[in-house]
Amino acid sequence: MAAVAAVAMHRALPAEEAARADFYALLARLLGSAPDGALLQMIAHAGPLAGHSELALAWRTLVDASSAMDENAAGDEYQALFGGLGKSPVSIYAGHYSGAVAVGHPRIRVQRDLEALGLAHRSTTQPEDHIAALFDAMRVLAAGGAGRGPAKLEEQRRFFDAHVKPAAGKFFATLAGAKEANYYRRVAALGAAFLAIEVESFQLD
Amino acid sequence: MKTTKSTDRRNFLLAAGLGGAGVAAAVVTGRKPASKPKEEAVAASKEAKYRESEHIRKYYETTKV
Repeated sequence: MAAVAAVAMHRALPAEEAARADFYALLARLLGSAPDGALLQMIAHAGPLAGHSELALAWRTLVDASSAMDENAAGDEYQALFGGLGKSPVSIYAGHYSGAVAVGHPRIRVQRDLEALGLAHRSTTQPEDHIAALFDAMRVLAAGGAGRGPAKLEEQRRFFDAHVKPAAGKFFATLAGAKEANYYRRVAALGAAFLAIEVESFQLD
Repeated sequence: MKTTKSTDRRNFLLAAGLGGAGVAAAVVTGRKPASKPKEEAVAASKEAKYRESEHIRKYYETTKV
């Protein structure tokens, strides 16, 4: 696959594809670090999603939880869940869930596939298989950004199937069941609902 | 064939609650929902809250990929 050429124009993204990118962005943000007060406020004041889907329900629950949460508590919870060196209750690395081995470690494979898609992982503190990094990659593939347009659906599906799907479901289930999780139990519910939609929709095209 | 499948996907995503409201968009990017006039009125009344915050802007600047 050649590097993506600079033919990407600002063509309007269909609303549902833009919404996918937004959910990836929000989940990446919440899993990358604890929400601060401003973000909690923004979520708390967001309106409901249309309909009565699992996603709409999970969203409303997160909106409600966000108005009751403050940033110190969120920071403590994030640290309790994901902090610590190798001893955290919930691993935030995909490799933990998809079966990491020394050779062909998920990080190496993510890196290779990102490069093939014309993307470079730039963080020095967040390994390639950090769940937030994977979600952020999906955001860029879905909506474009970082100097490129949206990736073809087939490319999105390949990256999703190879790196997101094998780990994210187990990750959200582990997060939802962690005794330290309170606010993040809602984040996990939203993530799981969104993931289920992604899995199913990729089968439709 | 391809068109039908794309339509299926689109309908499925919309039915699942994606795309109608742009709620997460308002949160993450400060973008106002594009399509629904009613939602836009709501967004406008809360414009200050939905403005792209310094925090979110920084997040995008330091974004990983």
